[in-house]
Amino acid sequence: MPLVASAIAGAAIITPVLVVMWRSFTTGKLGFTVGLNLTNYLRVFTDRDLVPMLSNSVIYAGGAALLGTGLGASLAWIVARTNTPGKGLVELMPLYPILMPPIMKNIAWILLLAPRSGILNGMLQQFLGIDTLVFNAFSMAGMIWVFGLACVPLGYLFLLPVFLSFDPSLEESAYIAGSKPVRTMFKITFPLALPAFTSALVLNFLRGLRSFETPVLQGTPGNIKVFVSRVYDSMALEFNTGLATAYSVVLVVMSIITLYFYIRATRFSERYATITGKGYRVKVIDIGPWKYLTFAAVLLYFLVGIVIPFIVLIVVSMIPYFDYDTFMRFPFNAVLTNYYTVLRHPSFMTGLYNSLILSVTIAIVTVLTGIVMAFTIYRTRAAGTKVFEFIGTLPLAFPPLVLSVGLLIIFIGTPLYNSLWALGLGLFVAYFPYAFRNASGAIVNIHKELDEAAWVHGARWRHVFFKITLPILKPSVGGALFYIFIEAIRNVDVAVLLTSPGKEYGPVTLFEYFRVGQWAEAAAGGVIYLIILIVAVSVAKFAFKMKFSL
Amino acid sequence: MERKSRTMIAAALSASFWLAGVAWAAEKPTSQDAVKDPKAAAQKAIPKQVTKADSSAAATAAAAKAFEKVSAELYPKAKQEGNLVVYSVWDVEHLRIITEAFMKRYPGIKATYWQGRNPEIVTRALTEFQGGQASWDVVLSDNAPPVIRAAGAIQSYETVQKDVLYLHDPTMPTVSLQIQALAYNTKKIKPADLPKSWEEVANPKYKGMIALDDPMRAGPLSSMLSGLKTQWKDDARYNNFVKGLKALNVPVHKSTSAMFRLVISGEYAICMPALLHDVMEEMHKGTPVGYVKTVPPVLFPRQAGIYVKAPNPNASKLFAEWLISEEGQKTIDSIGRESARNDFKSKTSIEAAFGKGAKPLPVTDQLFLEDPKKWLDTYVKPIWEG
Repeated sequence: MPLVASAIAGAAIITPVLVVMWRSFTTGKLGFTVGLNLTNYLRVFTDRDLVPMLSNSVIYAGGAALLGTGLGASLAWIVARTNTPGKGLVELMPLYPILMPPIMKNIAWILLLAPRSGILNGMLQQFLGIDTLVFNAFSMAGMIWVFGLACVPLGYLFLLPVFLSFDPSLEESAYIAGSKPVRTMFKITFPLALPAFTSALVLNFLRGLRSFETPVLQGTPGNIKVFVSRVYDSMALEFNTGLATAYSVVLVVMSIITLYFYIRATRFSERYATITGKGYRVKVIDIGPWKYLTFAAVLLYFLVGIVIPFIVLIVVSMIPYFDYDTFMRFPFNAVLTNYYTVLRHPSFMTGLYNSLILSVTIAIVTVLTGIVMAFTIYRTRAAGTKVFEFIGTLPLAFPPLVLSVGLLIIFIGTPLYNSLWALGLGLFVAYFPYAFRNASGAIVNIHKELDEAAWVHGARWRHVFFKITLPILKPSVGGALFYIFIEAIRNVDVAVLLTSPGKEYGPVTLFEYFRVGQWAEAAAGGVIYLIILIVAVSVAKFAFKMKFSL
Repeated sequence: MERKSRTMIAAALSASFWLAGVAWAAEKPTSQDAVKDPKAAAQKAIPKQVTKADSSAAATAAAAKAFEKVSAELYPKAKQEGNLVVYSVWDVEHLRIITEAFMKRYPGIKATYWQGRNPEIVTRALTEFQGGQASWDVVLSDNAPPVIRAAGAIQSYETVQKDVLYLHDPTMPTVSLQIQALAYNTKKIKPADLPKSWEEVANPKYKGMIALDDPMRAGPLSSMLSGLKTQWKDDARYNNFVKGLKALNVPVHKSTSAMFRLVISGEYAICMPALLHDVMEEMHKGTPVGYVKTVPPVLFPRQAGIYVKAPNPNASKLFAEWLISEEGQKTIDSIGRESARNDFKSKTSIEAAFGKGAKPLPVTDQLFLEDPKKWLDTYVKPIWEG
């Protein structure tokens, strides 16, 4: 049964991918027919900018993934394993920055870090008399910083359940042998978290390779060209989906290489199993006076992750226009016209309703299917299931616009076309890799002896899955549900081609403000949106006691 | 077990291959639908756009009369069709205002819209065209309609009000204009120090002050370059201008609107170029921006292209004609977009914004409009990247 479900999900994922891959051999400019040929690939591999752009992409994506995943993992460790003071607050602080969409962070950080007009350089000049332009949003470091911040949530949500479900005997053995807490942390704790960390790192790296907003908004003015801009130029300048897909295939190859290293790193998965049949309870480590430093670290992340960019957006949404002097005059120059404009937006309410319903449904379906596929790979004895490892991650290698073209082609002519179902399926395909990799990292951490005990007693797959795997995975499930819901509700790239006249999807219209550069209206929309999400998450957490991996 | 699972996975993957094949077959165009040879398409004679800077009162009256007549002819048929589907790059709020005004004027026709950026519009429209879908009627945009027309997906329609248009294309009605201006931050540069022409922007003294739109994308700067090339008819002058811009070694931007925001913020002093309606809107709000009136405005057509498979062709034609009519232009003006008519008075009209006698720079190069990539590879890339 899990095999059937995985096969169906795999087929749903691979079909749009195959469609776009096929087109890379057969399609030229949209609307024109060409036969089966290798023209697109010849163009890709004779592109003299290919190697420099790929190098930039690897530095950018790798740097941001390392920064974000590392920071996320550290936060998860602080929250789960240390006696950092203010437990309730410390648990909450890393959660809220997740709600801030990356593009909102982009705009806020550009306004903070722009060389000549940025708030931070302005403050250094005004208050400290430093005339040197210290910060530069339009640099590789600026790009890595901003996208790195967007990578923190995945690292945090992937690692938190792992740190929460450690077998304490492993660390206790180290302590008995005389190991100090720091040494134990590096020698025992972190190696055990490696599969989940690598999962998050791989996902963040692949996200970085295909991310577009940061390179466009920050890289182009700094003359930093990344590979994915070729994919978008093929679509935006040449309207050539075949060429765009051929360029995307380079990303697919890079994804396969990355996945290969990931699979190699986790091939002896039992080594990393932290949840065994012996039972477990999280041991909180007393880190002494360092606990104040860890508290400061969490607070600092909370400030840079949401508070500072949020304040910038609030101010920008209320001042007549943005420049340093006008910004500093706030609140004496505050106006609310942008909020009035956004609230009168024709698609705001219907779009928000549709996106809420769809995002909740997609989060549930995607997370459950991801667990089933990971269960099939790691827990069933069926042969050939490793192919799902590849299929389950594949959509992540394709820039969303390319992927949604494949979906569009599949749906055309079917009753699904122009329906919310098509959009739902599109979001499922787009977000499946997150659910799948999250479940894989978590399942690898559960020792097989738990399943084997059940198999020995004659249990069938459903008993093992529902009675053992799923309950143990509960913390990961919460985190993945939360993450996919948040991502889906603000999705634009996949949704834009799959929405239809009269069937609005909230983020598409609302985030259009960001895309067309109406920053004041965009900031107002972003603030409203963020407040709705903060209220929704707070209500879910406090009124319904929902746990988001916490 | 092993054999069974392998069979199952193989079956699922085969099914997906089959589905992919069906999808491919579905989108494969029939011979009469899609253009088979891009070169042949490019050679296809498409009448050039006609530029007309002003018109007489007689032309205005004649246009009004022609509109009333065509409206009376088309409305009963359009009402019978009952629907109109518009794909557009315009803001959703603008589309709502326009479609509501149209439905109020012509009860019985339900107008709906889908909004996306130009690449998304072209992708969706042409994918549906190749899939044989009669799913939309009109594409209302700037860059997208000529590209869709080049693929054979636009049916030719000439407006009856052509004599009052700045830019007239006999195959697709021009309903509005995208006007580009040289904008600047009034806090950062004095009017006396500003360039007086597009060409002067390349003066090395502006190095470090200018934000440049990326000339290697189909954006405002490249359309201006195409307009200047057509107007100058002087390759050496054109080449020197592009070389001069390159020599400034200033940051280039892929988003004109984001670039304009950075000019407002004081990051740059001069915006090369900005869209007039953005500048006017900000000036109206009291933002410290202005534009150089002596620099000729660049005109790019915003067109209403009618789909070759439009399920509601009469409603489509009626919509295009109504948009050009005085009532339609007033609606377009009310949302801050520029009028396509040379007899229409508003704050964004060329005469009001640039003064009587202003000599606009129209973008009429057919190759640029229909295959911007090819144009850029031929006329910009060798200089910019060479």
